[in-house]
Amino acid sequence: MTTAIDISNLQKTYPGTPPVQALSHADLEIRDNEFFTLLGPSGCGKTTLLRLIAGFETPTAGSLKLFGEDIAHLPPEARPVNTVFQHYSLFPHMNVLNNVAFGQLRQGKSKSEAKATANEMLELVHLADFASRLPNQLSGGQQQRVALARALAPHPRVLLLDEPLSALDLKLRQSMRTELKRLQKETGITFVFVTHDQEEALAMSDRIAVMSQGKIQQVGDPATIYEFPDNRFVAEFIGDANFFEATSLGGGKYQLARGETVMGPDIGADTNTTATVFFRPEKAELSMEGEGLHGNVSEILYLGNSTDYLVSLVSGETLTVRAENHKDGSALAEIGTDVVVSVDAKAVRVLANR
Amino acid sequence: MSLQNAIKTHAGLIPALVVIGIFMIVPILIILVYSFLAPGDYGGVKPEFSIDAYQRLLFQKNLFDETVFDPAYLKIAFRSLWVAVVSVVGCLVIGFPVAYYIASQPEARRNTLLLLITIPFWTNLLIRTYCWILVLRDTGLINSALLSLGIINEPLTMLYTEGAIVLGLVYTYVPFMVLPIYASLERLDVRLVEAARDLYCNRWVALRHVVIPLAKPGIIAGSILVFIPALGAFIAPDLLGGGKNLMLGSLVQLQFSSARNWPFGAALAMVIMALVLICLVLYARNIKKGGGGMAH
Repeated sequence: MTTAIDISNLQKTYPGTPPVQALSHADLEIRDNEFFTLLGPSGCGKTTLLRLIAGFETPTAGSLKLFGEDIAHLPPEARPVNTVFQHYSLFPHMNVLNNVAFGQLRQGKSKSEAKATANEMLELVHLADFASRLPNQLSGGQQQRVALARALAPHPRVLLLDEPLSALDLKLRQSMRTELKRLQKETGITFVFVTHDQEEALAMSDRIAVMSQGKIQQVGDPATIYEFPDNRFVAEFIGDANFFEATSLGGGKYQLARGETVMGPDIGADTNTTATVFFRPEKAELSMEGEGLHGNVSEILYLGNSTDYLVSLVSGETLTVRAENHKDGSALAEIGTDVVVSVDAKAVRVLANR
Repeated sequence: MSLQNAIKTHAGLIPALVVIGIFMIVPILIILVYSFLAPGDYGGVKPEFSIDAYQRLLFQKNLFDETVFDPAYLKIAFRSLWVAVVSVVGCLVIGFPVAYYIASQPEARRNTLLLLITIPFWTNLLIRTYCWILVLRDTGLINSALLSLGIINEPLTMLYTEGAIVLGLVYTYVPFMVLPIYASLERLDVRLVEAARDLYCNRWVALRHVVIPLAKPGIIAGSILVFIPALGAFIAPDLLGGGKNLMLGSLVQLQFSSARNWPFGAALAMVIMALVLICLVLYARNIKKGGGGMAH
């Protein structure tokens, strides 16, 4: 498999007092023809990384290669990379067709060729009828699609997308997700997508890099990232999790603070060392009796397709169980009900404390 | 009923209309009326209808009292137009980079720089223009510097040329170009420049295809603000042109002062106004045509 972007030890520090380390150290390999997502909270360095790839920033140190060629210090116009900007940044003085044709014209293509490609791209994003409109005559979603067409028209080797869906409303965002995925498959261009929305990242990506505080925390496909997070940050940022400080008893048995035990994978930790045990709320089961963690329902959040039960354990900790309601729509338990929370050993994850 | 409504809805406009009426419409009407009267013996006008003033623009009476075509004033008009256009171009060439530079500075710095731009307005125009004489004349700053450095052997003739007039006008009116261009550049979304760079424009191409088109309203406003006063200017032409390159503004001033021919002065003023209006209409049409985009 060809490597599209090869990043090693890439760093970006902004001068100031004290200097701001936006990207402290990044090693990353983005494959050709993949939908790759940089995911993280604001200020985690994902946008900085994207801007470094686009050429709007120059790295303080490290190397950045595009299909084997070092591009770290090339100006943006010399990189075969295009960007879909968060706020679209369409040229307001040009109509849709001219916006889309802009890149190819600047590359020196003939007017007729640039226009033909532009029309093709508008077809691709279902906006062929809007070619002669001005950007401010379009809705947000339409502008977004024009921005996409404009960035795709010069046939970049890599397409960068900077939170392109964040300004759209929910329904539109969801339909654009499918649209983006379709475009990526149809064009065969490598997409590097930046977002802070974990749901978006899970739904669209082939692989995800989770970032925090200028560092890449974990790289993997969506299922791996969700099911087997490498550290607590990843586990907390992607989805929800119930965390417990525990002591390893050996053989996959862990003792929680107040003496209850849960079974989980054996991570080979020495007996009596501490570890963090966690599981996803939807992997736990709520029952009225039996083996498990005993507690009392303290709050119920009805989410429609599921319900979150906040359970105060006898030990004093709180955990969340996410479960579907009964088929007739009634809740599994009322506030104040004594319940037992059980979780399969296969659903429990353990992080060794360092 | 509907009249009452109309009055009610437009009542807010009344103060503006009154101001425009008193300070703009009435003076123009007075000038218009004067231009169709006969000159008084010691200035002023006599209440007799006459189109002599307009006839004088193009025709003169020769020795035999025949009316013949005389392009002297037409030449002055064309020269004035030419000088005004060159001044606009000069102001644009200097003003755009200055405005661009200011707009690209951090906000606190921008305000200081804008203040600096307005500083010349604090001193009387006459004095500032006199200073240019000190700079440009044969024994002036530039010539004595060049002479003492041995670059030239004889002083360059700079004062009392058309170039000196343009220089004076550009100097006087360049702030009128900088301020509106700055206003439109300040509103310009820098992310659009980034988008252009991303789409294979280098700095200069991005300037040409994105920055300048978007600064167009400011460029137009600035050009108009420079063109109109430059066409009617008389201080710079008088002082730096030495009166030998007569311009429309000086001519008007002359008619109202020493020549004591108010109707002719008024007629000239009407001609300047007509020229300005014609230029504006042509400009506006041109802009509308060119505003569509590039790939047509």
